[in-house]
Amino acid sequence: MSGAGAREAVFPTRQVLGQMKSKLKGAQTGHDLLKRKSEALTKRFREITRRIDEAKRKMGRVMQIAAFSLAEVTYAVGGGNILYQIQESAKQARFRVRTKQENVSGVFLPAFESFTTEGNNDFGLTGLGKGGQQVQRCRETYARAVETLVELASLQTAFVILDEVIKVVNRRVNAIEHVIIPKTENTIKYINSELDELDREEFYRLKKVSNKKERDAAAADVEREAQKKKDDSSDEDNVDEEGRMQTKDLLGDQDNEDVIF
Amino acid sequence: MEGMLYNVNNGYIEGIVRGYRNSLLTSQAYSNLTQCETIDGVEERAIRHLNIALTAHRCQATARPSLRRLPGSPAPNPSTSALANKLTEKLVSEFRYLQANATGSLAKFMEYLTYGYMIDNVALLITGTLHERDTRELLERCHPLGWFETMPVLCVATNIEELYNSVLIETPLAPYFKGSLSHQDLDELNIEIVRNTLYKNYLEDFYNWVNTHPDVRGTPTAEVMSEVLEFEADRRSINITLNSFGTELSKADRKKLYPSFGRLHPEGTLMLSRADDVEGVRIAVEGVSDYKTFFDQTGLNQGGGSAVGNMSGGTGGEGKSLEDMFYQKECEISKLAFTRQFTHAVVYAWVKLREQEIRNITWIAECIAQNQKERIGNYISVF
Repeated sequence: MSGAGAREAVFPTRQVLGQMKSKLKGAQTGHDLLKRKSEALTKRFREITRRIDEAKRKMGRVMQIAAFSLAEVTYAVGGGNILYQIQESAKQARFRVRTKQENVSGVFLPAFESFTTEGNNDFGLTGLGKGGQQVQRCRETYARAVETLVELASLQTAFVILDEVIKVVNRRVNAIEHVIIPKTENTIKYINSELDELDREEFYRLKKVSNKKERDAAAADVEREAQKKKDDSSDEDNVDEEGRMQTKDLLGDQDNEDVIF
Repeated sequence: MEGMLYNVNNGYIEGIVRGYRNSLLTSQAYSNLTQCETIDGVEERAIRHLNIALTAHRCQATARPSLRRLPGSPAPNPSTSALANKLTEKLVSEFRYLQANATGSLAKFMEYLTYGYMIDNVALLITGTLHERDTRELLERCHPLGWFETMPVLCVATNIEELYNSVLIETPLAPYFKGSLSHQDLDELNIEIVRNTLYKNYLEDFYNWVNTHPDVRGTPTAEVMSEVLEFEADRRSINITLNSFGTELSKADRKKLYPSFGRLHPEGTLMLSRADDVEGVRIAVEGVSDYKTFFDQTGLNQGGGSAVGNMSGGTGGEGKSLEDMFYQKECEISKLAFTRQFTHAVVYAWVKLREQEIRNITWIAECIAQNQKERIGNYISVF
């Protein structure tokens, strides 16, 4: 047991060690990739922040001009009735927005795109008697203002989404870096130590066995030596015996040596 | 002759109107107004100037404070539209006072003055009815000068046919509807055309009235009013032509909207009806030196129409626009009307000048509120 942190509950076997090693490798690759993704997203995030800043400043200017052009309309027409009429005569959206998706390192950011439908001029005749030009121009100015707003909206959405995604990615990076990798490493260490332990035990056992075997072998040798010696000493007898073998006692009772007197 | 007996019936009114005229803001007062930093300042100074101007006419001293902000009004920073509303209210109350005192042909004359506003109101109500809005809500938006007794009845009508058959014919505007418009015309596509047709009929009728009515015919009233109305007719013709470029209004329809009198009539209007662009309009009005000068000054003949409107939008350009020129001219004519004695036209002139004053004050307040001081001097002051 390595006391240096958590490890996974596994049986310390060689197979699991292999698995753990590949897991560690995977975790490291994943960590690298996620780190790179996070960096890319952060870069994008900064860019968007900068663009939001620009867009907001632009919006301030544009809205001011637009509000002023409305003041011009009021001046030219000389009353508030025109506003109501314009509200009433607008039936269809001329200025529309559609979304498309943009892929930034695997994150889908919605991007709003504004477009004006052609031939949709609902209040073309408003202010025919007086102020018509102002109304038209005011509309153009406001169309520009809304364009800026749409741009800003798509940037803000991207901003929020990216912020979320960056948080998630960073959490993953940190989790891999600080939890998964150490845990896996600990497990590997643990398995290694256990395996070493087993190895040592095995080695000891083998040693014991071989010792025993050696001893046995030695004993056997000694015995064999002794046997050999014995055999050697009875070599002369052997010749006899050979001769005797030819004249083997047919009765088969060799043990009964001939009693020679 | 008319000088001898005019004051018997109308002397009081004329006196009052001349008093009102003296209370109009002078260029000095305007330049003081432009120095203000806040709308509150504008309001304060406007009140002060108006009061100073009014000391000679005590009958007005009580009415002026209506300009002042309402006590307990929730907005600490009054909006420019509230300011404009107050000023309009003031104008209306003065007008009502005059109207209450007017008799005979002057009363009729003042009624004619309100018809223009009535046309706007009726157009507004028709728009509302077409979209099935709550007409009661619309009544609040109507111009108070154009209020007529049967107007709330318009709310009863729920569809256009009913509105036309049972209600519109009861209004003072009925003669203008008669003959030129049927209820099929009152659909939403051409509400602007309806409005302009009515206005054309109104101008013609008014012109006809000042030149034929036994009390008015041959008097300075007829002279001055003819000039004013001719100018108004020409202005409308030119504006309609300019504003109709690029819209679906056909030339034949456009021609129907031109009043059939005025200095441009008939050759000028004929040419206007054929005009395709600003250049065509310029050629059409060349016969009248005043309008030619306007066009030359606004640089329309070179600019190609980019600066037609008032203040030339956000696109810059310091020169005055055509519409500014027209307003300027209108104010000058109105100013000159005060040089004549024993005429109803002073009432008309006074109303027009007051309207211009309201627009000027609103403009200045708007410029201050939006911090656009560079264009603040674009008001029109004739005194």
